[in-house]
Amino acid sequence: MATAFKRKGARFVARLDDDERGVVVGLLEQTHELLAPVPRERTGDPFEDLVSGLGLPRAKDLADDAFHGPRDPALERLLPSAHREDPGLAAEFRRLTEYGLRERKAANLVTAISALQDSDGDKVRLDQEQAQAMVVALTDVRLLLGERLGLRTDEDADALQGRLEAASQDDPQLYLAAYYDFLTWLQESLIQALMGM
Amino acid sequence: MPLAPAELSRTDIEQDMSVDRPWITLVWNDPVNLMSYVTYVFQTYFGYSVEKAEKLMLDVHQKGKAVVSNGPREKMERDTEAMQGYGLWATLQKDD
Repeated sequence: MATAFKRKGARFVARLDDDERGVVVGLLEQTHELLAPVPRERTGDPFEDLVSGLGLPRAKDLADDAFHGPRDPALERLLPSAHREDPGLAAEFRRLTEYGLRERKAANLVTAISALQDSDGDKVRLDQEQAQAMVVALTDVRLLLGERLGLRTDEDADALQGRLEAASQDDPQLYLAAYYDFLTWLQESLIQALMGM
Repeated sequence: MPLAPAELSRTDIEQDMSVDRPWITLVWNDPVNLMSYVTYVFQTYFGYSVEKAEKLMLDVHQKGKAVVSNGPREKMERDTEAMQGYGLWATLQKDD
C-alpha cells in the first residue's frame, strides 16, 4: 500500500511497492518513448550535421511528415501550438523550440525513472533536483493519460471518478483511469511537499 | 502549410517596428494540471509571491486563461517555452 510523498529533512520520501513502482516506471517509459527526439545520425554533410548538432531541424526533417502531417493528439497536447491565431508563427516557434523541449522532457523522465529504480526497497527517496524532475515528469504522464482518456474539460475530469466506479473489470479504460487517479494522488503529495505545506 | 522562414522573419520585424505593443504570455485552462501544480510553476519559474501565483492560477481555472507575463517578444518566447516545458498550455501573442 503506497504512502504519499512527505518532506523529511532535505529529502522527499514516499513508499511504493514493487508493483506500484513498476506501473509508474512503465508509464514514464511510454511517455519517454513518445517524447524523446529521434536520434540524429550523421549525414556526412558538414553543414547539415552542424545544424543538427545545434538542435535545429535539418532540411530533411522539414520535409518529413512528422513536421507537417497529423501528430498524435497526446503529442499535440504535450507540445501545443504556441500561437492560436497565426499558423506561420506557430510553425516557426515549433521549429526553434520543439527539439529542445523534447530533449528536456525526455531528460526529466529519465531522472524520474532512475530515481524509482534506485529505491531503497519500497522507500523512494528524492533530493530536491529529483523531486523537481519527478513533479514535471508526472505532469507529462498525466497529460498523456488524460488525452487517451478523452479528458477535454474540467467536467470530464470531475466525471472520471464516476467512470472508474461504473467501469466493468474488462474495460481497458478502467486501468488507464485507475493509473491516472493514482498518479494524481502521488503528484499532489509531491507538490505539497515541494511547496512546504 | 509550407514553411517560409526567411519571408516570415522579415514580416515579423516590420510588424514589430510598426506597432509598439508588448507581447504577452497566456496560460490556458486544461482538465489535467492540478491547481496546486499551476501555482507551484508560477512561483518557481516567475518567482511570483504565493498570493500572485494563486490569483493567476484561479484566473486560469475560472476564466479559462490568464496573462502570466508581458514584455518583448523574445522574452515571451522564452516564457512560453518554459511553461510548455512544465506541461502548461501556454501561448504568446501581441497584446491587444
